[in-house]
Amino acid sequence: MVKREIDIAVIGGGAAGLAAAIKAKEKGIENIVILERNEELGGILPQCIHTGFGLSYFKENLNGPEYISRFIKKVEDLQIEYKLNTMVLEITAGKKITAVNSIDGLLELQAKAIVLAMGCRERTRGALGIAGTRPAGILTAGTAQRLMDIEGYMPGAKVVILGSGDIGLIMARRFVMEGAKVEAVVEILPYASGLSRNVVQCLEDFNIPLLFEHTITTIHGTDRLEAVTVAKVDADWKPIQETERTITCDTLILSVGLIPENELSQSAGIVLDSATGGPIVNEYMETSVPGIFGCGNVVHVYDLVDHVTQAGELAGESAARYVLNELPPLRKKLALKAGDNVKSVVPQIISSEEPVTLHLRAKKPMRNVKVKVGNLIIPKRVVRPPEMVVVNLTERTLEKLKKEDELEVSIGEEAGP
Amino acid sequence: MKKKEVRVVTCIICPVGCRARVTIENGKISKIEGLECPRGEEYVTGELEAPVRDFFTTIRIKGAMTPILPVRSTQPIPKDKIMDCILELASIVVDAPIKAGDIIVKNPLGLGVNVIATRDMDQAKKGENSAYLAKS
Repeated sequence: MVKREIDIAVIGGGAAGLAAAIKAKEKGIENIVILERNEELGGILPQCIHTGFGLSYFKENLNGPEYISRFIKKVEDLQIEYKLNTMVLEITAGKKITAVNSIDGLLELQAKAIVLAMGCRERTRGALGIAGTRPAGILTAGTAQRLMDIEGYMPGAKVVILGSGDIGLIMARRFVMEGAKVEAVVEILPYASGLSRNVVQCLEDFNIPLLFEHTITTIHGTDRLEAVTVAKVDADWKPIQETERTITCDTLILSVGLIPENELSQSAGIVLDSATGGPIVNEYMETSVPGIFGCGNVVHVYDLVDHVTQAGELAGESAARYVLNELPPLRKKLALKAGDNVKSVVPQIISSEEPVTLHLRAKKPMRNVKVKVGNLIIPKRVVRPPEMVVVNLTERTLEKLKKEDELEVSIGEEAGP
Repeated sequence: MKKKEVRVVTCIICPVGCRARVTIENGKISKIEGLECPRGEEYVTGELEAPVRDFFTTIRIKGAMTPILPVRSTQPIPKDKIMDCILELASIVVDAPIKAGDIIVKNPLGLGVNVIATRDMDQAKKGENSAYLAKS
């Protein structure tokens, strides 16, 4: 067994983890190791061959492989150590990491700080409870993306997509481009879960019908998927039987949500937020265990990789400051609680006076709203669940904030003139 | 006789997502309603007169760790040329190694853009065991 002492361990070599490692190294930390279970760095980005990445971070329109290769190159240039094909089995509150790979065998790392950057995974059929048989041909959008855009396989010819999340919309376009027919995208909500840019450019451009307030009630087929039954739903999301109809297809793609991957966080006893599914963090991205930081989709699911990179940089910088003993002592803890029309807010805790950026997820779309953070009011023209609401609190606004133990964050209608 | 039609275009410039009702008379835009800003007007006009899209797909590659290479166009191309361009690239096979930015196809269909590789693809070493099982 290999035993080593290191300064910072970064768990996961995707957009968040690479940004964290780079920032920590730039802050003067020498002994950093990135642990990655895939056979290359980059996380999900190598399979995201569509453009639209980096518009905010680089002011350039890149695709996934191009965006992430800039960070991989920087990791190489800064000679940051990384271990591929390496599965982390456990982390402890004492920051001991147990991992395994085929070169080192069992690996035990004692770190001074840990950055959690494990990302998220997709909800599968099991989480939905759709009735019917269990044939081949039902896969998540991300799996289809990996098969088509990295491994070079075509998963099917006649496709139905359940859920209008961004990856599902993007795969609808890819399926059409590769010669398949996409029969419909079925969405239980009255609005799309993905960005409107993707609704226009992935569905409308290719005349793919988007069925709102519809769901799939039955799956048909024995060896291979043969058809799905779709139905309109009522206000309580209950299928209306008279509206049922069958669509012939050989492939069902699920794009029904992402879940932060936190088994390792739980093994370290880190407190999770039931609204985000990720660790509760403060403005330094520090979790409930001192010296363990989190960033990216493991904390809460982002819609833009540019924001994931920024969160990674913040967590990496904080981890470096922790190792160097430069992190300011935590003063009063203000807990941020999600109020009206707010599904979640990150960070969940503010503990000092330094500027902080809040990321909120709205529950439902609204126009001309005011976002309230305690006694502060920030007007916004529109909030939509697919796009995170970003609120920057400067030192000056923080001064105006009434320091109660708990602050409610809510989104409400603007009072009329 | 005057030909008049109304089309609805969703603006994608910002998260507000205005839905513009555009009146077209004799092939010319005569009225745009429902937009909240001038940037939207520019987008909607372009979208109706000459819509363009970023173009990206994959092509086959031999001798690399994976059997396909992601590529994109250097500039957006006309929306109605996307499927033609996809077919134009369907038969192309390149050999590893490839560097990101390498021109894969010069000026396809005379569109005035190049199609470039978007990632490095090293040659797979002999006996290298890839989970991707490159079968080329």
